[in-house]
Amino acid sequence: MQSKSAKISIAIVSLVLGIMLAVQFKTTASNNAAQLPARVEDVAQQLNSVTQERDALAEEVVSLRGKLSNVRKNDEAMADLEDELQKTRMAAGTTAVEGPGIILTVNDIPRKTEAGQDPNDSIVHDSDLFTLVNDLKASGAEAISINDQRITAMSEIRCASTLILINTRRVGPPFVIKATGNPEMLESGMNINGGWLSIMKQWGYQISLQKAEKVQIPAYKGPIRFEYSIPAEKGEKAE
Amino acid sequence: MWLLITFCLLIGLAIGFQMPVLLPFIYAKYLSIAILAALDSVFGGIRGYMEDGFDTTIFVSGFIVNALLAAGLAYIGDKLGVELYLAAVIVFGVRIFQNLAIIRRYLVKKY
Repeated sequence: MQSKSAKISIAIVSLVLGIMLAVQFKTTASNNAAQLPARVEDVAQQLNSVTQERDALAEEVVSLRGKLSNVRKNDEAMADLEDELQKTRMAAGTTAVEGPGIILTVNDIPRKTEAGQDPNDSIVHDSDLFTLVNDLKASGAEAISINDQRITAMSEIRCASTLILINTRRVGPPFVIKATGNPEMLESGMNINGGWLSIMKQWGYQISLQKAEKVQIPAYKGPIRFEYSIPAEKGEKAE
Repeated sequence: MWLLITFCLLIGLAIGFQMPVLLPFIYAKYLSIAILAALDSVFGGIRGYMEDGFDTTIFVSGFIVNALLAAGLAYIGDKLGVELYLAAVIVFGVRIFQNLAIIRRYLVKKY
Protein backbone atom coordinates (compact mmCIF):
# COMPACT_ATOMS: atom_id res chain seq x y z
CA MET A 1 0.00 0.00 0.00
CA GLN A 2 2.81 2.28 0.92
CA SER A 3 4.46 1.33 -2.28
CA LYS A 4 1.45 2.35 -4.26
CA SER A 5 1.06 5.76 -2.64
CA ALA A 6 4.80 6.24 -3.01
CA LYS A 7 4.55 5.41 -6.66
CA ILE A 8 1.65 7.80 -7.10
CA SER A 9 3.40 10.64 -5.34
CA ILE A 10 6.61 10.03 -7.25
CA ALA A 11 4.62 9.91 -10.46
CA ILE A 12 2.91 13.21 -9.64
CA VAL A 13 6.17 14.87 -8.68
CA SER A 14 7.76 13.55 -11.86
CA LEU A 15 4.87 14.91 -13.83
CA VAL A 16 5.22 18.32 -12.21
CA LEU A 17 8.97 18.20 -12.73
CA GLY A 18 8.39 17.39 -16.38
CA ILE A 19 6.01 20.30 -16.78
CA MET A 20 8.44 22.66 -15.06
CA LEU A 21 11.30 21.45 -17.19
CA ALA A 22 9.29 21.88 -20.36
CA VAL A 23 8.23 25.39 -19.37
CA GLN A 24 11.81 26.26 -18.50
CA PHE A 25 13.08 24.89 -21.80
CA LYS A 26 10.49 26.86 -23.65
CA THR A 27 11.23 30.00 -21.70
CA THR A 28 14.95 29.72 -22.25
CA ALA A 29 14.51 28.93 -25.92
CA SER A 30 12.06 31.77 -26.45
CA ASN A 31 14.30 34.16 -24.57
CA ASN A 32 17.24 33.21 -26.73
CA ALA A 33 14.98 33.63 -29.71
CA ALA A 34 13.77 36.94 -28.32
CA GLN A 35 17.29 38.10 -27.74
CA LEU A 36 18.23 37.50 -31.33
CA PRO A 37 15.62 39.82 -32.83
CA ALA A 38 16.61 42.39 -30.23
CA ARG A 39 20.14 42.21 -31.44
CA VAL A 40 18.98 42.30 -35.02
CA GLU A 41 17.01 45.39 -34.16
CA ASP A 42 20.06 46.89 -32.52
CA VAL A 43 22.20 46.20 -35.53
CA ALA A 44 19.49 47.51 -37.81
CA GLN A 45 19.34 50.68 -35.75
CA GLN A 46 23.08 51.05 -35.96
CA LEU A 47 22.90 50.53 -39.68
CA ASN A 48 20.19 53.14 -39.82
CA SER A 49 22.19 55.71 -37.91
CA VAL A 50 25.34 54.98 -39.88
CA THR A 51 23.38 55.30 -43.09
CA GLN A 52 21.99 58.62 -41.93
CA GLU A 53 25.47 59.76 -41.01
CA ARG A 54 26.71 58.74 -44.43
CA ASP A 55 23.89 60.60 -46.11
CA ALA A 56 24.65 63.69 -44.05
CA LEU A 57 28.32 63.43 -44.98
CA ALA A 58 27.42 63.02 -48.63
CA GLU A 59 25.32 66.16 -48.41
CA GLU A 60 28.21 67.92 -46.76
CA VAL A 61 30.47 66.80 -49.59
CA VAL A 62 28.02 68.21 -52.10
CA SER A 63 27.73 71.52 -50.28
CA LEU A 64 31.49 71.73 -49.79
CA ARG A 65 32.03 71.05 -53.47
CA GLY A 66 29.58 73.81 -54.23
CA LYS A 67 31.45 76.12 -51.92
CA LEU A 68 34.74 75.15 -53.51
CA SER A 69 33.46 75.95 -56.97
CA ASN A 70 32.03 79.17 -55.60
CA VAL A 71 35.44 80.01 -54.25
CA ARG A 72 36.89 79.34 -57.67
CA LYS A 73 34.23 81.47 -59.23
CA ASN A 74 34.91 84.07 -56.61
CA ASP A 75 38.47 84.49 -57.72
CA GLU A 76 37.26 87.64 -59.40
CA ALA A 77 35.77 88.82 -56.16
CA MET A 78 39.07 88.01 -54.50
CA ALA A 79 40.85 90.07 -57.11
CA ASP A 80 38.43 92.89 -56.41
CA LEU A 81 39.15 92.58 -52.73
CA GLU A 82 42.86 92.61 -53.42
CA ASP A 83 42.33 95.72 -55.47
CA GLU A 84 40.40 97.31 -52.66
CA LEU A 85 43.10 96.38 -50.19
CA GLN A 86 45.73 97.90 -52.45
CA LYS A 87 43.75 101.10 -52.70
CA THR A 88 43.35 101.23 -48.97
CA ARG A 89 47.05 100.67 -48.53
CA MET A 90 47.79 103.49 -50.91
CA ALA A 91 45.43 105.75 -49.03
CA ALA A 92 46.99 104.76 -45.75
CA GLY A 93 50.44 105.36 -47.16
CA THR A 94 51.77 101.92 -46.40
CA THR A 95 52.73 101.26 -49.99
CA ALA A 96 55.03 103.24 -52.24
CA VAL A 97 53.37 104.93 -55.17
CA GLU A 98 54.52 106.56 -58.34
CA GLY A 99 52.91 108.58 -61.02
CA PRO A 100 52.74 112.03 -62.57
CA GLY A 101 52.86 114.94 -60.18
CA ILE A 102 54.98 117.78 -59.01
CA ILE A 103 58.19 118.21 -57.10
CA LEU A 104 58.23 121.30 -54.93
CA THR A 105 61.47 122.33 -53.31
CA VAL A 106 61.38 124.88 -50.52
CA ASN A 107 64.44 126.32 -48.83
CA ASP A 108 65.29 129.05 -46.39
CA ILE A 109 65.71 132.67 -47.45
CA PRO A 110 69.38 132.98 -48.47
CA ARG A 111 70.56 135.91 -46.49
CA LYS A 112 72.78 136.61 -43.59
CA THR A 113 71.03 137.60 -40.48
CA GLU A 114 71.71 141.22 -39.83
CA ALA A 115 71.31 143.15 -36.65
CA GLY A 116 67.74 143.68 -35.77
CA GLN A 117 66.54 140.78 -37.88
CA ASP A 118 65.02 137.69 -36.41
CA PRO A 119 66.60 134.58 -37.91
CA ASN A 120 63.23 132.92 -37.52
CA ASP A 121 61.94 135.15 -40.28
CA SER A 122 64.17 133.53 -42.87
CA ILE A 123 63.74 129.83 -42.21
CA VAL A 124 61.07 127.42 -43.33
CA HIS A 125 58.72 126.65 -40.49
CA ASP A 126 56.58 123.65 -39.77
CA SER A 127 53.52 125.83 -40.29
CA ASP A 128 54.78 126.67 -43.79
CA LEU A 129 55.15 123.01 -44.61
CA PHE A 130 51.77 121.91 -43.39
CA THR A 131 50.08 124.84 -45.05
CA LEU A 132 51.75 123.81 -48.28
CA VAL A 133 50.70 120.19 -47.71
CA ASN A 134 47.19 121.35 -47.04
CA ASP A 135 47.19 123.35 -50.29
CA LEU A 136 48.48 120.28 -52.15
CA LYS A 137 45.70 118.19 -50.73
CA ALA A 138 43.21 120.83 -51.71
CA SER A 139 44.64 120.78 -55.23
CA GLY A 140 43.99 117.10 -55.60
CA ALA A 141 47.24 115.48 -54.53
CA GLU A 142 46.92 111.74 -54.12
CA ALA A 143 50.09 111.07 -52.19
CA ILE A 144 52.53 113.48 -50.61
CA SER A 145 55.94 113.13 -49.13
CA ILE A 146 58.34 115.61 -47.62
CA ASN A 147 62.01 114.65 -47.83
CA ASP A 148 60.86 111.06 -48.45
CA GLN A 149 58.66 111.05 -45.40
CA ARG A 150 55.25 109.93 -46.50
CA ILE A 151 52.47 112.13 -45.26
CA THR A 152 49.82 109.83 -43.91
CA ALA A 153 46.58 110.61 -42.15
CA MET A 154 48.45 110.39 -38.86
CA SER A 155 51.63 112.18 -39.86
CA GLU A 156 52.66 115.16 -37.84
CA ILE A 157 54.62 118.13 -39.08
CA ARG A 158 56.07 119.65 -36.02
CA CYS A 159 58.79 122.06 -35.09
CA ALA A 160 61.70 120.64 -33.14
CA SER A 161 64.08 123.56 -32.58
CA THR A 162 66.21 123.83 -35.71
CA LEU A 163 64.64 120.86 -37.45
CA ILE A 164 61.16 119.64 -38.28
CA LEU A 165 59.73 116.30 -37.24
CA ILE A 166 57.68 114.39 -39.74
CA ASN A 167 56.60 110.89 -38.81
CA THR A 168 58.88 111.42 -35.80
CA ARG A 169 61.81 111.62 -38.20
CA ARG A 170 63.87 114.76 -38.34
CA VAL A 171 63.96 116.52 -41.65
CA GLY A 172 65.80 119.66 -42.56
CA PRO A 173 66.02 122.10 -45.42
CA PRO A 174 65.88 121.95 -48.33
CA PHE A 175 62.43 120.46 -48.17
CA VAL A 176 61.53 118.42 -51.21
CA ILE A 177 57.81 118.02 -51.32
CA LYS A 178 56.62 115.43 -53.77
CA ALA A 179 53.03 114.96 -54.70
CA THR A 180 51.28 112.72 -57.19
CA GLY A 181 48.21 113.89 -58.94
CA ASN A 182 47.26 115.88 -61.98
CA PRO A 183 50.42 117.98 -62.48
CA GLU A 184 48.56 120.89 -64.08
CA MET A 185 46.02 121.04 -61.31
CA LEU A 186 48.67 120.80 -58.64
CA GLU A 187 50.82 123.45 -60.20
CA SER A 188 48.01 125.91 -60.71
CA GLY A 189 46.63 125.12 -57.27
CA MET A 190 49.95 125.91 -55.66
CA ASN A 191 50.67 128.97 -57.72
CA ILE A 192 47.30 130.53 -57.12
CA ASN A 193 47.46 134.17 -56.15
CA GLY A 194 47.28 134.64 -52.43
CA GLY A 195 48.23 131.02 -51.91
CA TRP A 196 50.84 130.24 -49.32
CA LEU A 197 53.47 129.43 -51.91
CA SER A 198 53.12 132.81 -53.57
CA ILE A 199 53.38 134.51 -50.19
CA MET A 200 56.53 132.56 -49.43
CA LYS A 201 57.91 133.51 -52.82
CA GLN A 202 57.28 137.15 -52.00
CA TRP A 203 59.16 136.80 -48.78
CA GLY A 204 62.11 135.45 -50.63
CA TYR A 205 62.14 131.75 -49.88
CA GLN A 206 63.89 129.64 -52.48
CA ILE A 207 61.11 127.79 -54.17
CA SER A 208 61.12 125.62 -57.24
CA LEU A 209 58.05 123.88 -58.57
CA GLN A 210 58.50 121.25 -61.27
CA LYS A 211 55.98 119.11 -62.99
CA ALA A 212 57.18 115.58 -63.39
CA GLU A 213 56.02 112.64 -65.46
CA LYS A 214 57.05 110.24 -62.79
CA VAL A 215 57.17 111.08 -59.14
CA GLN A 216 58.13 108.35 -56.72
CA ILE A 217 56.71 108.56 -53.26
CA PRO A 218 57.91 106.06 -50.67
CA ALA A 219 55.76 104.16 -48.22
CA TYR A 220 55.28 105.13 -44.63
CA LYS A 221 57.86 103.07 -42.78
CA GLY A 222 56.75 103.53 -39.22
CA PRO A 223 54.48 101.29 -37.24
CA ILE A 224 50.74 101.61 -37.41
CA ARG A 225 49.26 100.93 -34.04
CA PHE A 226 45.71 101.09 -32.84
CA GLU A 227 45.80 100.68 -29.10
CA TYR A 228 42.60 102.46 -28.25
CA SER A 229 40.57 102.43 -31.40
CA ILE A 230 38.51 99.54 -32.64
CA PRO A 231 36.28 99.48 -35.67
CA ALA A 232 32.85 100.68 -34.64
CA GLU A 233 29.71 98.95 -35.88
CA LYS A 234 30.98 96.34 -38.24
CA GLY A 235 28.02 96.77 -40.53
CA GLU A 236 28.91 100.33 -41.42
CA LYS A 237 31.72 100.46 -43.87
CA ALA A 238 32.82 103.51 -45.71
CA GLU A 239 32.44 103.01 -49.40
CA MET B 1 9.11 2.03 -10.92
CA TRP B 2 11.65 3.38 -13.38
CA LEU B 3 9.23 3.05 -16.22
CA LEU B 4 6.63 4.96 -14.23
CA ILE B 5 9.00 7.82 -13.48
CA THR B 6 10.20 8.08 -17.07
CA PHE B 7 6.65 7.81 -18.35
CA CYS B 8 5.35 10.52 -16.02
CA LEU B 9 8.31 12.73 -16.84
CA LEU B 10 7.65 12.39 -20.54
CA ILE B 11 3.94 13.10 -20.05
CA GLY B 12 4.84 16.13 -17.97
CA LEU B 13 7.22 17.34 -20.67
CA ALA B 14 4.54 16.85 -23.30
CA ILE B 15 2.00 18.77 -21.24
CA GLY B 16 4.49 21.51 -20.51
CA PHE B 17 5.39 21.94 -24.16
CA GLN B 18 1.74 22.01 -25.09
CA MET B 19 0.90 24.53 -22.39
CA PRO B 20 0.65 28.10 -23.66
CA VAL B 21 2.55 29.29 -20.62
CA LEU B 22 5.64 31.40 -21.10
CA LEU B 23 7.53 32.71 -18.15
CA PRO B 24 9.08 36.14 -18.29
CA PHE B 25 12.83 35.91 -18.43
CA ILE B 26 13.33 37.41 -14.97
CA TYR B 27 11.36 34.48 -13.43
CA ALA B 28 13.24 31.83 -15.37
CA LYS B 29 15.92 31.81 -12.70
CA TYR B 30 13.39 31.06 -9.96
CA LEU B 31 11.86 28.26 -12.00
CA SER B 32 15.28 26.76 -12.63
CA ILE B 33 15.88 26.72 -8.88
CA ALA B 34 12.49 25.12 -8.36
CA ILE B 35 13.40 22.52 -10.96
CA LEU B 36 16.59 21.77 -9.09
CA ALA B 37 14.59 21.35 -5.90
CA ALA B 38 12.16 19.05 -7.68
CA LEU B 39 15.00 16.98 -9.13
CA ASP B 40 16.50 16.72 -5.68
CA SER B 41 13.14 15.63 -4.28
CA VAL B 42 12.67 13.03 -6.99
CA PHE B 43 16.07 11.53 -6.46
CA GLY B 44 15.52 11.68 -2.72
CA GLY B 45 12.21 9.93 -3.19
CA ILE B 46 13.78 7.21 -5.34
CA ARG B 47 16.43 6.72 -2.76
CA GLY B 48 13.86 6.56 0.02
CA TYR B 49 11.85 4.12 -2.00
CA MET B 50 14.88 1.90 -2.43
CA GLU B 51 15.71 2.17 1.26
CA ASP B 52 12.12 1.34 2.09
CA GLY B 53 11.99 4.46 4.23
CA PHE B 54 9.77 6.32 1.85
CA ASP B 55 7.25 8.66 3.42
CA THR B 56 4.74 10.20 1.05
CA THR B 57 4.07 13.21 3.26
CA ILE B 58 7.73 13.98 3.71
CA PHE B 59 8.35 13.47 0.01
CA VAL B 60 5.55 15.73 -1.21
CA SER B 61 6.02 18.38 1.45
CA GLY B 62 9.77 18.28 0.84
CA PHE B 63 9.23 18.76 -2.85
CA ILE B 64 6.91 21.75 -2.42
CA VAL B 65 8.74 23.42 0.45
CA ASN B 66 12.18 22.96 -1.10
CA ALA B 67 11.04 24.39 -4.40
CA LEU B 68 9.37 27.37 -2.74
CA LEU B 69 12.29 27.94 -0.38
CA ALA B 70 14.80 27.82 -3.19
CA ALA B 71 12.75 30.22 -5.30
CA GLY B 72 12.27 32.49 -2.26
CA LEU B 73 16.01 32.41 -1.57
CA ALA B 74 16.75 33.42 -5.13
CA TYR B 75 14.21 36.24 -4.87
CA ILE B 76 15.67 37.55 -1.60
CA GLY B 77 19.15 37.26 -3.06
CA ASP B 78 18.02 39.33 -6.00
CA LYS B 79 16.63 42.00 -3.71
CA LEU B 80 19.76 42.03 -1.57
CA GLY B 81 22.09 42.04 -4.52
CA VAL B 82 23.68 38.78 -3.37
CA GLU B 83 23.55 35.74 -5.61
CA LEU B 84 21.87 33.67 -2.92
CA TYR B 85 20.37 31.24 -5.40
CA LEU B 86 23.88 29.88 -5.83
CA ALA B 87 23.57 28.47 -2.32
CA ALA B 88 20.44 26.58 -3.38
CA VAL B 89 22.16 25.44 -6.57
CA ILE B 90 25.14 24.10 -4.64
CA VAL B 91 23.07 22.43 -1.92
CA PHE B 92 20.69 20.78 -4.35
CA GLY B 93 23.48 19.84 -6.70
CA VAL B 94 25.44 18.18 -3.91
CA ARG B 95 22.34 16.39 -2.65
CA ILE B 96 21.41 15.21 -6.13
CA PHE B 97 24.85 13.72 -6.57
CA GLN B 98 24.72 12.12 -3.11
CA ASN B 99 21.30 10.61 -3.79
CA LEU B 100 22.44 9.44 -7.20
CA ALA B 101 25.50 7.80 -5.64
CA ILE B 102 23.35 5.98 -3.07
CA ILE B 103 20.86 4.90 -5.73
CA ARG B 104 23.72 3.68 -7.86
CA ARG B 105 25.04 1.55 -5.01
CA TYR B 106 21.64 0.02 -4.38
CA LEU B 107 21.28 -0.73 -8.03
CA VAL B 108 24.76 -2.25 -8.16
CA LYS B 109 23.97 -4.38 -5.07
CA LYS B 110 20.61 -5.40 -6.48
CA TYR B 111 21.82 -6.57 -9.83
